[in-house]
Amino acid sequence: MAIIEINGLSKTYSVYHKREGIAASIRGLFHRQYRSVHAVRQIDLQVNEGEFVAFLGPNGAGKTTTLKLLSGVIHPTEGTASVMGYVPWQRQIGYRRRFSLVMGQKNQLWWDLPAQESFRLHQQIYRIERPVFEKTLDELVELLNLQGLLGQPVRELSLGERMKMELVASLLHSPKVLFLDEPTIGLDVVAQHNVQGFLRHYQQQRNITIMLTSHYMKDVVALCRRVVIITGGRIMYDGSLSGIIDQFGGHKLLTLQFSDEAPVDLKNFGELVEVQSPRAKLRVDRSSVTTVLGQILSKYNLVDVSVEEPPLEEVIAEVFASVNGTHEAELNKQQVLSNASD
Amino acid sequence: MPVTSVSPQTWWTIFRISLEERLVYRADFALGTLMRFIPIVTQVLLWQAIFEALKGDDVAGYQYNDIVAYYLLVLVGRAFSSMPNLSEGIAQQIRDGQIKKFLIQPIDLIEFLLITRVAHKVVYYGIAIGPFALVFFLCRGFFSGWPDAITLAGYATSLVLAFLLGFFLEAFIGLIGFWFLEVSSLLFMYMLINYFLSGHMFPLAMLPEPWASIAQAIPLQYLAYFPTQVFLGKIQGEMLAWGLTIQLAWVICFAILCRIAMHYGVRRYSAFGG
Amino acid sequence: MSESPPSYTRVLAVLARNSFVRDMNFRGNFLIEVITAMFWMTMMVSFYLLIFQFANEIGEDTGWTKYRFFVFLATTMIINGLMQAFVLPNAAEFSELIRLGNLDFALVKPIDTQFFISFQRVNWSGYANIGCGIALMIYSLIHLSHTPSWLEMSLFAIYIACGLGILYSLVICLASTSVWMGRNQSLYNFWFYITTFSRYPMEIYRGPLGEPLRLIFTFMIPIMIAINVPAQIMAKGLEGAEWELAVFGLFATMACLAISRWIFSLAISAYRSASS
Repeated sequence: MAIIEINGLSKTYSVYHKREGIAASIRGLFHRQYRSVHAVRQIDLQVNEGEFVAFLGPNGAGKTTTLKLLSGVIHPTEGTASVMGYVPWQRQIGYRRRFSLVMGQKNQLWWDLPAQESFRLHQQIYRIERPVFEKTLDELVELLNLQGLLGQPVRELSLGERMKMELVASLLHSPKVLFLDEPTIGLDVVAQHNVQGFLRHYQQQRNITIMLTSHYMKDVVALCRRVVIITGGRIMYDGSLSGIIDQFGGHKLLTLQFSDEAPVDLKNFGELVEVQSPRAKLRVDRSSVTTVLGQILSKYNLVDVSVEEPPLEEVIAEVFASVNGTHEAELNKQQVLSNASD
Repeated sequence: MPVTSVSPQTWWTIFRISLEERLVYRADFALGTLMRFIPIVTQVLLWQAIFEALKGDDVAGYQYNDIVAYYLLVLVGRAFSSMPNLSEGIAQQIRDGQIKKFLIQPIDLIEFLLITRVAHKVVYYGIAIGPFALVFFLCRGFFSGWPDAITLAGYATSLVLAFLLGFFLEAFIGLIGFWFLEVSSLLFMYMLINYFLSGHMFPLAMLPEPWASIAQAIPLQYLAYFPTQVFLGKIQGEMLAWGLTIQLAWVICFAILCRIAMHYGVRRYSAFGG
Repeated sequence: MSESPPSYTRVLAVLARNSFVRDMNFRGNFLIEVITAMFWMTMMVSFYLLIFQFANEIGEDTGWTKYRFFVFLATTMIINGLMQAFVLPNAAEFSELIRLGNLDFALVKPIDTQFFISFQRVNWSGYANIGCGIALMIYSLIHLSHTPSWLEMSLFAIYIACGLGILYSLVICLASTSVWMGRNQSLYNFWFYITTFSRYPMEIYRGPLGEPLRLIFTFMIPIMIAINVPAQIMAKGLEGAEWELAVFGLFATMACLAISRWIFSLAISAYRSASS
């Protein structure tokens, strides 16, 4: 039985539409105009216990909204969801005790006080017994290298340290499900690395279920085997990382090293990315790689050849870029691309 | 050479933006205008009760009707002379370095602020004139008619001067931010004293000595009390001319103080490398 | 981890301690608050001293003579101080949380949301007003040669608590409207203006303007109960206080608290977080 089950979940917002100009503002006094924003459209998802799932998508894709729905913070417009058997938006105390929400760049810790004061508050709210609390706190501090910082006011900590403190706060009550919304946003590379390492270790050790949203590739690659791509409120893909390239990566990258000067008519074989004689890089449609390679080999002398997958970022960027299309439009695009190379 | 640093076109833009700013939060705006009259109601009722059990014949020369008229007129005076957020705004700009913008660009800070204030007032009261007029109409029974043309002219002048005085006074307090970071406590003190000694709380004629003389000596009475007295006909002829002159003198005094503060403040500011 | 609900008293203790530590960081502010509270008190007392030059009591046959009126004034200060310390900072915070869409963290905690929101902060500088109020009260009682009995003092405390309850309910309702009405700058102006009605003895609300106001603010939005009832008890003693009003006050408090809880939960339902 899945620990998280989502069926047909949708959320639509009404946003007040402000217009420019004096006359419109006056009219606005009497008659407001709304437009609907479909943040999440009909998503279906199942997550098993102990999974580490990444929600990947461009800004405004609906990732954060989905997490907020699962946290019970907002009500859905349609659809059902169940986490650990609870309906999130009923906000039962039993549910709230068992999960945690962390949002990147949003602090829940008291700004002017040392983190340990906020932790103490947590202890009381979650009713964690003292010995358990102290043991958990020590473990987390150890894992995240936060010794000596507990007594410092949160505002004096660096961004990375603050984020780590937020993680500590969220894990003090040993939740079974953790929702992370862009946890590494704004952090420097070292801090990102630390947080990622910690999450990986902690998740494996405790077998907790984590859903992470990000638009950083590195988070996803470092942590998750399962990636859900969400754009325009809809799930476009749900599977492994490598699978993304298989499904969406329309091209492969051929790096050719010629024995003589690189020929000038390479652009007939594909998209010329780069030429630094005697090397050339060619972007070729997936399905025509063997044909093109055969043609080049028969025509010219090659010293070295390599065939690479396109970088993951590029593929994903392309997927994001097709946001205004629906799922069907995306499939159409694939259709068109594969047709063109026949 | 233009007289001011800001062109008429800019003036219009500022005006327009101020208006839009006001109208975006529409519930806010509608509510805010009406709420200004609420304290008057309780004041009036309080005075009604006071006059019921009076020891003498009147209160410092005021009858009940006069008192009501007085409070309504003070509202008008305050409409002209109150400068919400002016001091804090200036102090804030000094604190977070935005003031540098004015040191580099060919716009004079004080002038700019003055124009934006005029814009705000025109916009705000252009719209609020409706409720104001309504209230005054409903309360016309408390007034003993319109004053004569000369007094009215004097009244109008005193209102304009009250606006300028209020502006330069509060701008000056804000400019003290060049020397003291914590202007807000100073400002709060000023507000409290202002409430008491500008005639906002009660007619200054009620004050016994030595407070009466102190109130006469300081400029605060010219923010609301003086114009009100003019309209009520309590200050006529020579006294009126004299009063207006002193009011003008205070305006000039604080305008100059602002200039001085700006000049030395800027010097001090650049010395600290902002 | 225990399954039992949080101990609300323990949570309260931690919140109060945290607020104290925070406020002590801003010691300078505290001093300024004390000075301004004393200043304000001086001004109010001076104003009424001026008035009592011209009249012996406020309103004919109301019984509000000089020192009795000062008792009323002192009660005003105590209640204002309590509001300043315990209620207003939390309402402001609540409004801000709604506006910025940051209520999420409070919502996911396994604790009653209204409790958590209402006691987050204690503004210790409100104590300055309370202190001034108590000082004025003692001064006035001395001049009245009236030493309040234990019963009177207990009833006073109870009705101060009721007054707080009523005013708290009003504030929470107002703060909750941030959910539907957006930015609420005029909210605090509104609060200030509405409470001006509660700051004067009920007896002055007479005549075609006063009567309806008195009825509205006693029976519909019972803010006049807040200060009038305890002040009457202290100033006029048990004989002088109005019993029907006091009993009504108890029911009014409970009704207000119930209504505000209902409106609070409506606001939470309507709450939409700001998008990321």
